[in-house]
Amino acid sequence: MKKIILGLLMLAAGTDACAAVAEDSKIFTPYFDMTLLEAAYMPSVGNIFSGGNINTQVGLLTKITPDNQLFGLYTFNYYGPAFQPQDSKQFTDRSMSHGFNFEYRRGLGEKFKVRPSVSLMTDYARTGANEAWKNGLYNMNSVGGQLAVDYNFDPDKNGFVTAVFILKKVEFPNYTDLLREFQQAGNTSETSGGLQDQSLTQFSLRPNWNKFFGGFTYTLQDYKNQQVVKNTGVYDVDTKQKDRTMALNLGFHHTLWIFELFPALSYTMHVSNQNFMRYKYLGATAADPSLGTADVTFVPKNYDYNDLSFSVPLDLNITGKWAVGGSINVTSRTYKRGARDAKNDYNFSKKQKNLMTTLTGSIRKRMNEAAMVRLFYSLTVASSNNKFEQYMPYNYTGNSIGVAYQLSY
Amino acid sequence: MKRLILTLTAVMCLNGVTFAAIDWESKGMQMVGEIVANPAAFFYDFQQDLEGTVPLPPGKSLGFQTGLFPTLLPLGYANVSAKYRLHGEGRLAPGVPQVDFIGGYWNMVWAKLAANQSDTIDDARFNGYYLGAVVSSSVSPRIRTFWGYKRSALAARLGFKQGKEPDFMGTRVNSFDSGFKDDFFIAGIESPRSIDKFWSMQLNYGIKTQTFSTKLSWYGKVFELGLNIYPEGVLVIHPVWNLHLNF
Repeated sequence: MKKIILGLLMLAAGTDACAAVAEDSKIFTPYFDMTLLEAAYMPSVGNIFSGGNINTQVGLLTKITPDNQLFGLYTFNYYGPAFQPQDSKQFTDRSMSHGFNFEYRRGLGEKFKVRPSVSLMTDYARTGANEAWKNGLYNMNSVGGQLAVDYNFDPDKNGFVTAVFILKKVEFPNYTDLLREFQQAGNTSETSGGLQDQSLTQFSLRPNWNKFFGGFTYTLQDYKNQQVVKNTGVYDVDTKQKDRTMALNLGFHHTLWIFELFPALSYTMHVSNQNFMRYKYLGATAADPSLGTADVTFVPKNYDYNDLSFSVPLDLNITGKWAVGGSINVTSRTYKRGARDAKNDYNFSKKQKNLMTTLTGSIRKRMNEAAMVRLFYSLTVASSNNKFEQYMPYNYTGNSIGVAYQLSY
Repeated sequence: MKRLILTLTAVMCLNGVTFAAIDWESKGMQMVGEIVANPAAFFYDFQQDLEGTVPLPPGKSLGFQTGLFPTLLPLGYANVSAKYRLHGEGRLAPGVPQVDFIGGYWNMVWAKLAANQSDTIDDARFNGYYLGAVVSSSVSPRIRTFWGYKRSALAARLGFKQGKEPDFMGTRVNSFDSGFKDDFFIAGIESPRSIDKFWSMQLNYGIKTQTFSTKLSWYGKVFELGLNIYPEGVLVIHPVWNLHLNF
């Protein structure tokens, strides 16, 4: 579900990036942005691996009249193996998505612009087992509409507010519920049945002024079929899963002499009515599942968390072409669930806390007005009071070195 | 630059004590396993190295290309590619893009030689072709975007003589006979570095097999240097050296 929100935010961000005005002299204005990153990763846990990201956006803005424009955008994203924040995915997991967005832009006077759009997205997920892309457990298709309104309150200082309302239908064709599979091991009928399918509603308000930006985003995920598990380990047929996410972010992009600074801060609250049953082994039973040390433990509010992250990238533009950069990225997440020890026992008096810090040093060369290349080294330190690391590392250190290219027009 | 690399090396060395040793043997076994599981995909990555998928430079109407590294050497992909400009940008009417036909063929000569002289190999055939078209349009004096389609196909067959079959991870391998065929979508951008020198970046995406790659290329009148990235391939990064002549 985090992936969907991230995907939507990225799509929204991508659309914002393409909110460039058509050149006055042209009916058609193409848009192209491609970033390629390839890196080697050396974790303290596990073997060396390589991974990369490919992000491509190709669009065409058609100016029918100065106040009537059409914008089509195709987005291709690939995220390869990499160090991941704890509780998200394995280092070796990969994902690939295709997104199509068609937007109509209508100017209303000098201050307002209305942008209705439709979007389609297909997301493929693949684990280190190298299953075929079409068989990914978390493969996702979505279709939906969006209405955005821009209010330009200070044209001289790029001051505007954008309100966006999104409605999406999201389907996971391959998803299966592990608890149901576990509980109905002898059941040969299909247990998936669209359990992760959901409707997604999102509202965001994003002001920009001068070199400052910020925003508030509220997301509601309404599951069509997935029921909430009760403390008896039985699904509550009357209660469907509902997730809500509220995110606040702010930052600025400022250049002072040779310093180029763009810090950003975000705070996210995720709330779900879904719970979790932890079975220590196949066939495990327990008299009192409220005990963290029992073989079967009921974990209420398992998916609720508060997440605070900030990043401070800084580039020193030594010459017009060359820059030396450094950045720090910190993500701190606190769950409402207890932390687990190495034996998979919960300690409900101690909330799970994850911290991930990445320090990066880089050299950037701007090759021309459209292209740049960056060579970087990063040190990642991940720590958590969750010590159960049989399936996913929570406490590790990692080095990565890589190169990133960007061509943008 | 040199100082930074030294500093980075020092930091990496100091950090080394806290890191698990790199298990090159298991990495190697994993890579060999991936090749055996899908040999056609492995050989197709090299085919993409020799495919000429950037448009002809403005003013040129015919081009020939041959891949030198890693295709001709060391893999023995004898190869030739050609490009033909059907329409120059803006010739018919202002704004009408340049249209090029592209295509090429390769055959692994080492495989034939090995099959003829080897006591182990009975039959070896590796070859492939591609055909397509690239449409390119200048969006500013220094930027050209291009779009294209290509149909790529490859055949890979290796058979061992009876009683001489190699053993791989406890399994006797008699032969493999596999192929690859897909229709690709191409999108890229090109920017000049100086007179007659360009660099470009492009995405190639196979619609059926979901094979994809990114090509970074620097090219002049005669040579092309490239860095091709195959994120899901066995060898992720291919340094590439091609020779081309355009008329």
